[in-house]
Amino acid sequence: MAVRIRLKRMGAKKTPFYRVVVADARSPRDGRFIEEIGYYNPLTDPVQIKIDEEKALKWLATGAQPSDTVRSLFRKAGILKKAHEAKNQK
Amino acid sequence: MTLAFRFYKMGYCKASGAEVTAMLEKTTRINLLYDFYGPLLTEKQRAMLELYFHEDWSLGEIAGHYGISRQAVYEAVKRAQDAMIDLESRLHLLEKHRRRREIAEEILRRLEDVPEGKRVAEPLLQRLLDLD
Repeated sequence: MAVRIRLKRMGAKKTPFYRVVVADARSPRDGRFIEEIGYYNPLTDPVQIKIDEEKALKWLATGAQPSDTVRSLFRKAGILKKAHEAKNQK
Repeated sequence: MTLAFRFYKMGYCKASGAEVTAMLEKTTRINLLYDFYGPLLTEKQRAMLELYFHEDWSLGEIAGHYGISRQAVYEAVKRAQDAMIDLESRLHLLEKHRRRREIAEEILRRLEDVPEGKRVAEPLLQRLLDLD
């Protein structure tokens, strides 16, 4: 099963924020997702990024594909580096 | 949309730290523009922008969904974005909303020492902002 990690826009009109969700690539439109692993709020100063690192690393290790935007969030949060290190340790 | 960002989203180059931030900011800016100008776009444009910027699908996934080429999706998304950016440059609805929100926050800050006034003003200011 192909699994993606995406940003899902939430929030009322004019106040977007995003959940970081793990979802099946084939049934993405119906709003269902497997797990929520964090959120990103761009409208606060400074912006809030909260990622459950343990879950993120677990999903990356099992081959879940992050979208470009999630990848950049992970990079910001230092998670990509850790995933890379974990991979090299094996 | 900057060229670097566009190429990054299309997977042509790796993003630097600054571009990474720029990409997330861009997504939020487009989503904000969409809240103001979405109703002026076509049904098809709205559907594609929502998949791309709300649901975070890739160009390839959207292309597969509609049975059209990746390039066609890219062009459609780009045209819709350009249309919204053009509307904003002429109508400034987003910028005006941002400024109103700043003023509303300033009013509430100044009412900090007048709890009674703040209690009355806060819902009214919210109603004012909701009109946008």
